[in-house]
Amino acid sequence: MTGRLVALFRRMGLPERLLAVLLLVVLIEFAANSFVFERVDSFMLRRDDAERIAENLVLARRTLEHADLDERTDVARVLSTERFQLQWSAPEGRRRSALGLSNLRAQVIETGPELAMADLEIHLEELPGKGNIGGSFRLSDNSLVRFHTHANAAWKLTVGRIVSLVLPMLLLFALAWVLVRQTLKPLRNLIGATRHLGSGPPRPVPERGPDELRELIRALNEMQERIHQSLVDRTQTMLAIGHDLKTPLARMRLRLDDESVDPEVREGLSHDIEEMRMLLDSIQAYVDSDGRSIPPERIDIAVMAETLVDTAADHGADATYSGISNLEVKVRPVPIRRALSNLIENALHYGGNARVSVRRDGGAVEIVVDDDGPGIPDDRITDALQPFVRLDTARARDTAGMGLGLPIVRKAVRTENGTLDLRNRPEGGLRATIRLPLEPA
Amino acid sequence: MTVAPRYRLPQETMTTPPTILLVEDDGALRTLTARALRQSGFNVLTAATGAEMWVTLREATVNLVVLDIMLPGTSGFDLFRRLRRESDVPIIFVSARGSEEDRVLGLELGADDYLAKPFSTRELAARVSAVLRRGGGLDSSSEPVPEMRAADSIRFDGWEVSMARRELRSPSGAIVDLTGAEFDLLSTFLGYPQRVLGRERLMELSRSRIGDSSDRSIDVLVSRLRRKLQAEGSEPPIVTVRGVGYMFKAEVIRN
Repeated sequence: MTGRLVALFRRMGLPERLLAVLLLVVLIEFAANSFVFERVDSFMLRRDDAERIAENLVLARRTLEHADLDERTDVARVLSTERFQLQWSAPEGRRRSALGLSNLRAQVIETGPELAMADLEIHLEELPGKGNIGGSFRLSDNSLVRFHTHANAAWKLTVGRIVSLVLPMLLLFALAWVLVRQTLKPLRNLIGATRHLGSGPPRPVPERGPDELRELIRALNEMQERIHQSLVDRTQTMLAIGHDLKTPLARMRLRLDDESVDPEVREGLSHDIEEMRMLLDSIQAYVDSDGRSIPPERIDIAVMAETLVDTAADHGADATYSGISNLEVKVRPVPIRRALSNLIENALHYGGNARVSVRRDGGAVEIVVDDDGPGIPDDRITDALQPFVRLDTARARDTAGMGLGLPIVRKAVRTENGTLDLRNRPEGGLRATIRLPLEPA
Repeated sequence: MTVAPRYRLPQETMTTPPTILLVEDDGALRTLTARALRQSGFNVLTAATGAEMWVTLREATVNLVVLDIMLPGTSGFDLFRRLRRESDVPIIFVSARGSEEDRVLGLELGADDYLAKPFSTRELAARVSAVLRRGGGLDSSSEPVPEMRAADSIRFDGWEVSMARRELRSPSGAIVDLTGAEFDLLSTFLGYPQRVLGRERLMELSRSRIGDSSDRSIDVLVSRLRRKLQAEGSEPPIVTVRGVGYMFKAEVIRN
C-alpha cells in the first residue's frame, strides 16, 4: 500500500507534488484544529471558580434586571470588581467565539440554573487582557451583558491552548519545509552542477525527482558531455598545433646555423623563432594550467615566492621579497609556480620592478605582487583576465606570449579554490593579490 | 641481447670523437641535427625508429643517445624505459612538449638531460658535451665527481633531495623551492659531507654542473640555502669555518 503510494507520488509532476503537499498540510491542519477544539470544549473549571462565576452572574443579572435602562451602564460598573468585570450594552447581535466552553457553561448553569434562561455563553478569551474567560448573557429586554473574569485553571488552559495550537503549526511548517525541500532537491543538485559546468570532467547529475526535472537533468547531462567534449577537442587541437609546429621550428632553427646564412638574417630569424616558441609555450601553459591531472602536494609557498624573486634578482631584475619565510599549503606545484612567476614577470615587464610579499590571513595565504608601473585602466582590468586579450596593442609584438599570462594565473589559482584580484594602487602601480586556502576545500 | 655498456672515454683517447646515436623520426630534422652534431665534432649515427635504434646499438659502440620521445610506433617513453633497463648509455631526450611534467618524467626515468624543441646547434652541442663530461670521465678534476644517477634520493636530517627532479623536500614532506644555483650548491655540499670546502672550490664545483648559475657570491647563496634549511627551527646543517669556507655537517644517506 505504502509502496504504491510512494510509486504514485514519484510519478507525479512538480505541480501535482506541490498540490499534494498542500493538500496534506490542509488535512493535518484540519485534524489538529478539530483536536484542539475538542480539548477546549471538554475543559472543566475548578468547582470554586465555577461557583464564583455563577454567583456573580446571578447577582449581576438580578440587579441589572431591576435597574432603569439609563442606569444600567453605571450599575454594571459598580458591580465590577478587579477580577470580575461587567459591561452592559443595548440589544445587539453577538459573535459566538470559536472557543466556546460548553462544559464550563454547564458547570455554571448547574450552580445558577436561572442563567440557562438568559442565553448564557462562555468562551475562552482570544487575547489575554481583561481576563482569560469571557462571556455574555441577555436580560429579559434582550439587552446584552458582557463579562470578563479570571479563572485559575484557565491560565494553564491558555498555555496549553497556545502550545496545542502552535505546536502542530510548527510541526506543519517543519513538515512542509522538509517535503518542499525534498521535492526541490534535484533542482538544487542541478543548480550545483550548472555552476561547475565547463570546468573539469563532466559530473553527471543523478536523474531523480519529477518528470520535468528528470528531463531537465538529462538534457543538462548531455549538454555537460557536449561542452566537455568540445573543450577536450579544443585542448587537443591547441596541443597538437603547438606540438606539431615545434618540429618545423626546430628545423628552421638548425637551418639557420648553416654558415652560408647572413649573420644579420640569422639573428632576426632566431628572434622570430624564439618568439614563436614562446607563443606556443604559453598556449601549452594555458591549456595545462588547470593541471587537474596532477595531484596537489605540500609546498612551502613563502619559499616558492622568495625563490622566484631571488631568481629574478639574480638575473639583474629589481625584485624584492618581504613577509613570512615559511608557510606550507597543499596545491599543484607546477601551475602555482607558473602563476607566481607570471605575476612577477608581468610586474617586471610593465612596471619595471616587483615587490612580492606573502602573509597568512586567517585560513588563507595572501600573496601580493606590487609594481610601480602605470597599472591597468580600471575599465580594462576585466579584459586583462581574458585569454588572448593584449592590452598593450601598440607594443603588442615586443611581449612574449599571447595575452595568456594573467588567464594562466587565474586558471591555476581557481583550480585551488583561490582568488586572483587585480587593482591599481592609489599611489600608482598595479597590485595583484592571490589568495589560496590553507586547507583545500 | 647485449647492448654496449655505458662508455667511459679514457682520457688518452680524447682525440677520438665520441659517437652519438640520434633517434629522430622526422627525416629533415634528423639530417639537420646530425649535421649540427657533426659540425660540433661528434661522430653521428642515426635511426628513424626504435627498431633501427636497437640494431645500431648492437652493432656499434655508442657514447650517448639523443632520443626524440615522440617517435611513431612505440611510445617514446616505453622505448626510453627499455633502453634504460638494458643499457647504461647516457640519454638526452628531445621533446616538442616542453612541459614541466614531461621534463620531470623524463629525468625520473633516468634521462641525463632534456632538450626542448626548437634548439640551436650550440645548445645541442653544449648539452651533449656536458652529459659526456659528467658521465663519461672527461672531467679532469682530481676528485671524483659524485655520481648523480647512482644516488637519486639523498637524505639528511629528515630532508630529502631528489636529484632527477631537482627537488628538495622538508622533513614535513613539503616541496621547498631552490634557485638553480642554490640547488647546484646543495648538490655540491651533499657530495662532500663533513668536509670543509673553500669558497673558490665550492664555486668551481657548483659551476661545473648544468643548470643556471648566477653571479651571486657564494656567501649569498650559502646564506639563502642555510635559511631555507633552517625551516624546522633546528640547527642549519651548513656551518661556517672561519677563514676557510663552509662545511655540511649533517649525515648524508644515499639510496
